[in-house]
Amino acid sequence: MQATKITIKSLAKSFITFRGKVDVLKSIDLTIEPGEFFVLLGPSGCGKSTLLNLLAGLEKPSGGELYFDQELVADAVGKFSGPFERDISMVFQSYALYPHMTVEENIAFPLTNLPQVPTSDVMRTKVKEAATLLQIDHLLDRKPAELSGGQRQRVAIGRAIVRNPKVCLMDEPLSNLDAKLRNEMRAHLKDLQKRLGVTTVYVTHDQLEAMTLGHRIAIMNNGVLQQVGTPVEIYRAPVNQFVARFIGSPTMNMLSGELNEEAGNLYLQADALKIRLPAETAGRLKARNLKKVTLGVRPERLYVKSEGEPDLALPVNVIENVGPEYLVYSFHQQGQIVVRTPDEPTGDRLDLSLDAGHLHLFDEQGARINL
Amino acid sequence: MTREEIIKSCLIFATGLFLMAFTLGPFIWMIWISLADRADFLVTGQVEYSLSNYRQVLTAHSLHFLDYLSNSLWISTITAIIVTLFSSMAAYAVSRMRFPGRSVVPLLILAMSMFPQISIVGYLFEMFSKAGLINSHMALILPYIAWTIPIALWINMSYFTQIPLDLDKAALVDGAGRMKVLYKIIFPLALPGIFSSALLVFIACFNEFLFAIMLTIDYTAQTLPVGIALFQGLHGEIPWGNLMAASAIASVPLVILTLIFQRYIVAGLMGGAVKG
Repeated sequence: MQATKITIKSLAKSFITFRGKVDVLKSIDLTIEPGEFFVLLGPSGCGKSTLLNLLAGLEKPSGGELYFDQELVADAVGKFSGPFERDISMVFQSYALYPHMTVEENIAFPLTNLPQVPTSDVMRTKVKEAATLLQIDHLLDRKPAELSGGQRQRVAIGRAIVRNPKVCLMDEPLSNLDAKLRNEMRAHLKDLQKRLGVTTVYVTHDQLEAMTLGHRIAIMNNGVLQQVGTPVEIYRAPVNQFVARFIGSPTMNMLSGELNEEAGNLYLQADALKIRLPAETAGRLKARNLKKVTLGVRPERLYVKSEGEPDLALPVNVIENVGPEYLVYSFHQQGQIVVRTPDEPTGDRLDLSLDAGHLHLFDEQGARINL
Repeated sequence: MTREEIIKSCLIFATGLFLMAFTLGPFIWMIWISLADRADFLVTGQVEYSLSNYRQVLTAHSLHFLDYLSNSLWISTITAIIVTLFSSMAAYAVSRMRFPGRSVVPLLILAMSMFPQISIVGYLFEMFSKAGLINSHMALILPYIAWTIPIALWINMSYFTQIPLDLDKAALVDGAGRMKVLYKIIFPLALPGIFSSALLVFIACFNEFLFAIMLTIDYTAQTLPVGIALFQGLHGEIPWGNLMAASAIASVPLVILTLIFQRYIVAGLMGGAVKG
């Protein structure tokens, strides 16, 4: 079956509450390509689940338009197709299995609602196929209560794929699983999506899931799209401080301060900490004539320097051994600075150097400065 | 067992015994008298036990006991069915759908049930007289529906709100219409609540006295509580034996119903729906 393209035009959603109108989504524009694994990422309350519900047809938009391929499925004026007419399926964070039905009945439930209900033989074959694909074909007679978390999640996925929907929506499907199972299921999901080729929209607040699963990621905050791009694009060039902090673990170090020029070098004075910027960065910054900036640098892009004059020197407060590497924490007025290093540091001071290619600079509004 | 534990279990046992005696005492007394041939046997000390009271109650046409019983069963059953149907659908709407006044409707309905029965019974009598309903089953079914719907709605609401909203969403996405969601997903899961509310409504109607005595006139519509109350003075003296035998038989349907429904009114039906 041909995969579906989703086009979102100026989509908005607000709720009327006792405390007045709350804008949950503010004019979202987005195109999701056919067969794409698209991830919506953001902190809780950012509107990502509302956007998913709008795509699903569980909520009506307050503004804008929503297209599946060329077909308008919802707008604010009155056009509205329900979830089934849109031919979508959905996997919920809570699994949402029907507890009084067996696994087989759960997976078959969407088929019983088709305009032409398949014969029981066809239905059984389809359920069996989906169950085999998910390795739960030996559990068909059980009730959800008799299954483990991972098995329940598989049943929920089985129910979502059994009728070959145009679009598959997933609302934090892995966040109720324990860490080991989550990793397993993540790989399994990615493989499944690739095999089925169905357009998939996946909501999560876990940046690792987003980075590993998505062909593209959209990062949201306060109902506004912050950035849309491939995981690599977003990791390498976050458009603002919010995105920069949200993607990557440990989070990007941020230091704000004034730029000073001294003896031909450009320094960033972040409270008590004085940072020498690489000559290449300095040259470009001078041309911009900026006074205050925020420097962002990822923990793995702070390099330990054993000889010569360092770009910055940090007191060592805490060292964590995380197996293959060490995380060194240094406490600063503006929060903690983390350095990721393969060797255990000695002494109570860490001399570091910066690499012009891996520095991120943000202006006072938090937007990226492209040098 | 430590001293504290011994004292604790003694106290629990004693309290339990007291409560049991308190609740079962009158019941046992009732059965005892119904089996005795005379009510004053404790004073006179002469007594013979037999089932003659029961035989009399069930066979004597002048007592109309079976008429009362069938009236009670019909009226309570029909009321329970109608109330359960409406209150469960209302509970679904109030707990699941967004509409203006969603939080006010249950409160208004509850507020209506706060009028004392006695304050409306006079008007009801007038209204039903005009409508020609006095001394009919409808004369009791209609007010009983209005009288029991609030409690049934609130019981059902408390059960419906426990069912995760994700289940409705999942079923809608899976292509079920609202009605199918209701009878395929929500009703089966809310069964304990629906059964408890149905049972409570049935019991309330079965025991109701004030409406029954005001809005009915004779055995064609009178219910058991009224019928039994009217045993008094029928033969010039209070027929304690008959009275107690009738009361004992009257409690049988309730006991049977409770035993049947008890199986359904158990928690744990929700296991496995969502991550617990």
